[in-house]
Amino acid sequence: MQAPIPDNMPRSHLVISVLWPSFGTAIIATGLFFSAFHPRDLVPFDLDIDVSPIAAYSIGFFLFWLLGIVSSYGTLYFTISNARFVGNQEN
Amino acid sequence: MQAQKTGDGEQELYAAHQKIYPREVTGYFTRLRMLSVVVLLGIYYLTPLLRWDGRQALLFDLPARKFYIFGLTLWPQDFIYLAALLILAGLSLFFFTALVGRVWCGYACPQTVWTEAYLWMERKIEGKRSKRMKLDKAPNSAAKIRTKALKHTVWIIFSLWTGFTFVGYFTPIDQLAAKLFSASLGPWETFWILFYSFATYGNAGFMREQVCKYMCPYARFQSAMFDSDTLIVAYHPERGEPRGSRRRGTDLQKAGLGDCIDCNVCVQVCPTGIDIRDGLQYECIACSACIDACDEIMDKVSYPRGLIRYTTENSAQGKKQHILRPRVIVYAAILLILCGTLLTNLLLRVPLELDVIRDRNTLYRETREGLIENVYTLKILNMDSKPHQYTLTADGIDGMKLVTDEPEIVVPAGAVQELIVRLQADEFNMESRSVAVNFYLQANEANHLKTVEEARFVGPGKT
Ligand code: SF4
Ligand code: SF4
Repeated sequence: MQAPIPDNMPRSHLVISVLWPSFGTAIIATGLFFSAFHPRDLVPFDLDIDVSPIAAYSIGFFLFWLLGIVSSYGTLYFTISNARFVGNQEN
Repeated sequence: MQAQKTGDGEQELYAAHQKIYPREVTGYFTRLRMLSVVVLLGIYYLTPLLRWDGRQALLFDLPARKFYIFGLTLWPQDFIYLAALLILAGLSLFFFTALVGRVWCGYACPQTVWTEAYLWMERKIEGKRSKRMKLDKAPNSAAKIRTKALKHTVWIIFSLWTGFTFVGYFTPIDQLAAKLFSASLGPWETFWILFYSFATYGNAGFMREQVCKYMCPYARFQSAMFDSDTLIVAYHPERGEPRGSRRRGTDLQKAGLGDCIDCNVCVQVCPTGIDIRDGLQYECIACSACIDACDEIMDKVSYPRGLIRYTTENSAQGKKQHILRPRVIVYAAILLILCGTLLTNLLLRVPLELDVIRDRNTLYRETREGLIENVYTLKILNMDSKPHQYTLTADGIDGMKLVTDEPEIVVPAGAVQELIVRLQADEFNMESRSVAVNFYLQANEANHLKTVEEARFVGPGKT
């Protein structure tokens, strides 16, 4: 059986397959999150920090993106390592 | 039809990328496409400059958390409308795909639109396909570097304008321009302008068809929306094959040749670099460049046009064509229902919201007159574009009184006003320890602007 992910798949495609879906998810998540919460209400312990909304949204977006990257990378990692494992067993 | 490619397609998917130099085309569909590109780009760059009621007509004002869509102002609370709008857009894509195939890809997708614009600049600067290929192969020379530098400068300027416009949809563009010219852009504004510019430059200048091939989910599930009556770009193999070059005036019957002169022009014009003569492929963005190109060749050799043409699988096989079919009807019905619901809801939407929060510190108090008193904080959100004066009333308990220190309640347009009110009631009129009461808020000069909000009134309880 051929492994589902050929080893000759270019690295750039792997990188895109992690970055791209998580990017889309991050946009949706950021939209949902900040329509429910105002950045001003998210400052913990009444700390006196003043972040502009744009900064808050941007940081929020990147955090969501990071989260999505971790998840997408996990999927990719398990797919590849499982495929290799199955491939090795059959050989 | 779809499957034929996937067998060895896998291999092809991961083959080393070769740069594609689409050859220039002229013709009916190309003109139509260019028109669409110009109109859409115009809409993109000009819309943020439109004004409405003294403000930007279309502005997703993130800092202020308000979305202005011409006469309409949406708040985070109205998030559902935007979600519905997105669902509507997705459904329309399904509907139009079932009906006319991938016209979206060929004529309206931002990826296509900007790629065409960047290709146009490239052609103006570097010349025709053959010249571009030669230039890329040529060793570095002063002239080559100059041409390349010019192209990238033009691209970058256009990208920066694109990024600036993009951010101008989310923060007022006039202020953004003022900040830009006084060099006082905030770090995040600068970042997003550069981010979007870079994405445009990369996608339209370099990635191009690869975005469609490797990153676009729509291209992958097109087969789920296609059926035998969907409009596609197709080559007519019965007519074209056997292909082959020939001299002018050759008797086709005798030579045993079809109409395709195997000139490869259809492959050269294709922005995704495929050969339409291999059948329908998921890489085909239905841009119809090959139709125009082949028609021109057919004219030259005086064969009838339409060897490559818009058709449907059914009509290509001489079967009956159905425009109205269950799939289309179902999509259309869902689309209509959703559109109607959204529209009625938008029309009936009351741009007024009332939030009632009971004082958390004390359950109740007893006044000097022996009445039970509860304190509430009211938040009045005027989502209208005009200021309003409101009248507040409450009921739920016989003889209940509403007391507030504010003589009148006036809320400016698009503002939130907090108001402390006290309700006082006689304990004997309370049916239980905690009774539901209603607050009614009504705008004084606008009858339709009214809302109700329920709250609890708590007393000591019957002893
Ligand atoms: S452009 Fe037309 S004639 Fe030329 S190779 Fe393509 S299908 Fe054949
Ligand atoms: S095959 Fe024809 S219609 Fe499809 S992308 Fe290529 S040129 Fe456009």
